[in-house]
Amino acid sequence: MLKVEHVRKDFGGVRAVSDVSFEIPRGITFGLLGPNGAGKTTTMRMILGIYTPDAGSVTWDGKQIDGSMRRRFGYLPEERGLYGKMKVREQIAYFGRLHGMTEPTITQRTASWIEQLGLQEYAERPCGELSKGNQQKVQVACAAVHEPELLILDEPFSGLDPINAEMLLNAFNDLKKRGTTLVLSSHQMWQLEILCSRFCIITAGQNRISGTLAELRSTWPTRLIRVQPNTPSVREILEHIPGAHPIATENGSLDYRVPADAHYSEILRSLVAAEAITQFDAVEPSLQDIYIRAIEERA
Amino acid sequence: MNEFITVYSAEITRRLKSRAFRIGLIIGVLGIVAFIRLPQYMEKLAGDSGKSIVLVGDRALTKRAAPLIAKDFTVVGTSTDASPPTAAFLKSHNNAAASLMLAESASGIKVTIYAKDPGNIGAASANRIRSDLLPLNLQLATRMSQVRVNNLLQMQVDIRTVASKFGSVADAETAHNIASVLIFFLYFLIILNSQLILSSVAEEKTSRIAELLVASVQPTALLAGKIASAATLAILQMVIWIAVGALLGSGMSQTPGASGNFTGLSGLFSSSVISPLEIGAFFAFFILGYLQLATLFAAAGSLINRTEDLGSVSMPLVIPIIIAFFVAITALQTPDAGYVMVTSFIPLISPFIMFARIAVSNVPPIQIAASLAINLAAVITIAILAGKVYRVGLLLYGRPPKLRQIWATLRD
Repeated sequence: MLKVEHVRKDFGGVRAVSDVSFEIPRGITFGLLGPNGAGKTTTMRMILGIYTPDAGSVTWDGKQIDGSMRRRFGYLPEERGLYGKMKVREQIAYFGRLHGMTEPTITQRTASWIEQLGLQEYAERPCGELSKGNQQKVQVACAAVHEPELLILDEPFSGLDPINAEMLLNAFNDLKKRGTTLVLSSHQMWQLEILCSRFCIITAGQNRISGTLAELRSTWPTRLIRVQPNTPSVREILEHIPGAHPIATENGSLDYRVPADAHYSEILRSLVAAEAITQFDAVEPSLQDIYIRAIEERA
Repeated sequence: MNEFITVYSAEITRRLKSRAFRIGLIIGVLGIVAFIRLPQYMEKLAGDSGKSIVLVGDRALTKRAAPLIAKDFTVVGTSTDASPPTAAFLKSHNNAAASLMLAESASGIKVTIYAKDPGNIGAASANRIRSDLLPLNLQLATRMSQVRVNNLLQMQVDIRTVASKFGSVADAETAHNIASVLIFFLYFLIILNSQLILSSVAEEKTSRIAELLVASVQPTALLAGKIASAATLAILQMVIWIAVGALLGSGMSQTPGASGNFTGLSGLFSSSVISPLEIGAFFAFFILGYLQLATLFAAAGSLINRTEDLGSVSMPLVIPIIIAFFVAITALQTPDAGYVMVTSFIPLISPFIMFARIAVSNVPPIQIAASLAINLAAVITIAILAGKVYRVGLLLYGRPPKLRQIWATLRD
């Protein structure tokens, strides 16, 4: 388990991280969210041991992160970079060696990643000649070739087309199946929602909320009810729900925000009794809704 | 240690494959070859084209002059025709390059050269003719016997040096020449390889691969692997250059008829005046000087965000090396001067200056040991301080840090 406990990091007079804590059980995929400048990258660097926290601690399976442990981790930084003149295959193999891999495993794993990410035709070409998307895939391979116990990915999908993003998504899922713990940071919430089972949202270097999506949703005070057809009788029933507020829509449905603890079965029963209902949805808040609300509350 | 070995071997491979290293190595080898061979080739070229001559003049005079002139020229014929020669005349005498018209006067021999191409004859050839004919000229001018003239010309002159580590002036001059070349090598290798470290660190910083690297290995292992690989290749480069030089030098010293200038150049690589201690000192001071500067260059490289800034960060570091180079060159002439003595103990510059002193004078072993110890301490101190700057600088983007921030990092 990765345990981040009340870490703090200052750079000169600037406090990049004030107080961040979370726990990540082994084998899960964790989403670290926050606006730009929230302290995500600094937190990730502290997890990797690149920075030493000024206060608090980071442990993996109860032990402080050290050099040998770091070799079992993988990292894809937000800022991309490769040796432009080094060939794709050489580059991936080099990072494998840096993480303590030996032959013949390096050759096998390198070939496997090249194939999985569709890089066969570029394998013997210098990385500098590749498109941005393909370079990004090479970097993912460099970060994950040693099948790390913990893989930290900072904005892994940025700049990728949907097909390549899907390819990476599959690669991450495969890693997860093989037991790798994934920590992802991304502004593409829908992808995180698919991949991650736990989340932590930080702003201004501090925790805002953390937990599973269900736990985050449980803190959300309202739900959205979407009903069709849009008739006076349906509208009248919805108007009488305590705490309900209509939301303007353009698709002809009746959308009402209702308290999270509203009795949906009773509402549905009343509606069916009054009208031939063609649609009834109780819409849960998305990760994006939760994220925006968490950030706005802080602001 | 594994991290270091991985970085070290990868850096060696990258550098061996890099165009800069290969071109540098080839240029160095070609430079050595040119340095040793070129004078001989030029001499040969000049000699071949202007070497065949016809002696013109009184039969008795040309007969006596011919064996003297034959030392430096090929006498392809003699003639008594006193009229100025034409091109057809030269052509009819085995296509000779020139005719030497000799005339006897009260003051000796008067020589007039008629050359097809005066550029091929030149002042050097005129001097050789003058020197070759000197015994005959003296004999004719003074009417002395041939034996007496020869005795006068063969007067023995011994040149000896006083209180020097060398047995003769020739050895001292050779040692001076060798030291000059080695100091230049030292300067060239340290500058070249430190600049390579600077650009390598800057490349990793600006391409943003640095973050990926430091997430995989300790920055100290990364830095050490980088510096050690460059040092290994610098030594390899140097060994290749010296081997080529020694090979050509030994070949040259056995070449019959090589001129004085030429053997002087080849002697730089074949002489025995340089001792194993001096060779050892050269390598020791190269390693110590290189480690200090390369580490500083690496720290400087970690602070830049754009490759355009390479010049501005390297300039303050290059200046002490240039100063050291010039002080070392003057130290070869005045190895015991006060400023030379003092600067041979100052880190960064002393590797050049102490080596110059060792090469041309008897430096007390305690002073050599003290200079080595000071430089070793400097290597360790610089490695600790520059290592801190490197660790921080590598992940620092945005505005370049101010001196105050760098100082705070060093104190941290």
